[in-house]
Amino acid sequence: MDTNKIDYAKEKVGYYKVLGGLLLLTTLTFIQPHMFLEHYTFTVQIMIGATKAWIILMYYMHMKGETLIGWTVVFAVSLVVFFFTVVIPDVNHFQFKEESHITSQAHIEVDYGHHTASHEE
Amino acid sequence: MSHEYVPEIATSRDGKQHEVQGWQGDFYGGKLGFWLFMLTEVMMFGAMFLVLTYYYSLHQQDFIDASSHLNRLLGGTNTVVLLISALTMGLGLLRMRTGDVKGAKLMIYATIILAIIFLGIKAVEWREEFEHGVFLGLDALQSGNEHSRPFGQILFYGMYFTMTGLHGFHIIIGIGLMIWLLKRINAGKVTTEHHILHFNIALYWDLVHLIWVFVFPYYYMIGAGSGH
Repeated sequence: MDTNKIDYAKEKVGYYKVLGGLLLLTTLTFIQPHMFLEHYTFTVQIMIGATKAWIILMYYMHMKGETLIGWTVVFAVSLVVFFFTVVIPDVNHFQFKEESHITSQAHIEVDYGHHTASHEE
Repeated sequence: MSHEYVPEIATSRDGKQHEVQGWQGDFYGGKLGFWLFMLTEVMMFGAMFLVLTYYYSLHQQDFIDASSHLNRLLGGTNTVVLLISALTMGLGLLRMRTGDVKGAKLMIYATIILAIIFLGIKAVEWREEFEHGVFLGLDALQSGNEHSRPFGQILFYGMYFTMTGLHGFHIIIGIGLMIWLLKRINAGKVTTEHHILHFNIALYWDLVHLIWVFVFPYYYMIGAGSGH
């Protein structure tokens, strides 16, 4: 790929359009928790973030048209997404609360032989 | 100290001799290598986001409460500052590719200034949090004392200071790289024909921006609608 044959004026307009799109999505980030889908803020925010990331990857990081590097990125991100997919549902069946340093000790029920007691007692 | 350039010669199977290209002359190789480095960064930050999501699923209300106390005005300003800095970095690369070296340098200077503004705003924000008693090592973020925050909030703030600190460290590295790039341009080592270094540093800056694109909603926005 010859990277030097470019039309500066045309490319510059492209950069400004991308900036406009990203600013629009940033505005959406700010108004969403107060205006729509208030109960799904976390999911909506991450989806807006993912859209922004895709735009940055394609247009600022020049991934558009890059086959080899594109698939390398897809592979690496897929690994991360795979771990997310495996681990997050498993959180619902967390078995080691007693030994954990990441769960609040105040609400853990500990089995003392025949008795079950709470740390809150 | 300068050395006379001695080309390295490789001989192919059919006996022909070729000059071995340095990294400056191998644009695609240089780019691919840098992408591999950036993927290690993606996996490192990806693991942190995984931990964060995991903690969030365990302590949702604490995370929302803690998030609602962060300064969204300063965080949002930093988001816009980084957005504009990504533009100046990109325009600088465009100018380099079209032969406008002076314009390219101006854009790099602008990016450095925006990066320093980002760090300044982050410093103000951290100071504000320190004054409210919320900082690594202070009682509020230690469990088992009268000032302790709820357990989920301790996790939230621990991750917040770790990740924004690591991101800030990447910004500092980026400033260093841009200063080095300016030195290389001044020395004539980065030119319109050989601009892979400029290209890769612009990629690095976009990555720093990309990470912030997720850091911002994860920390600042999840508690935005909770009424604080």
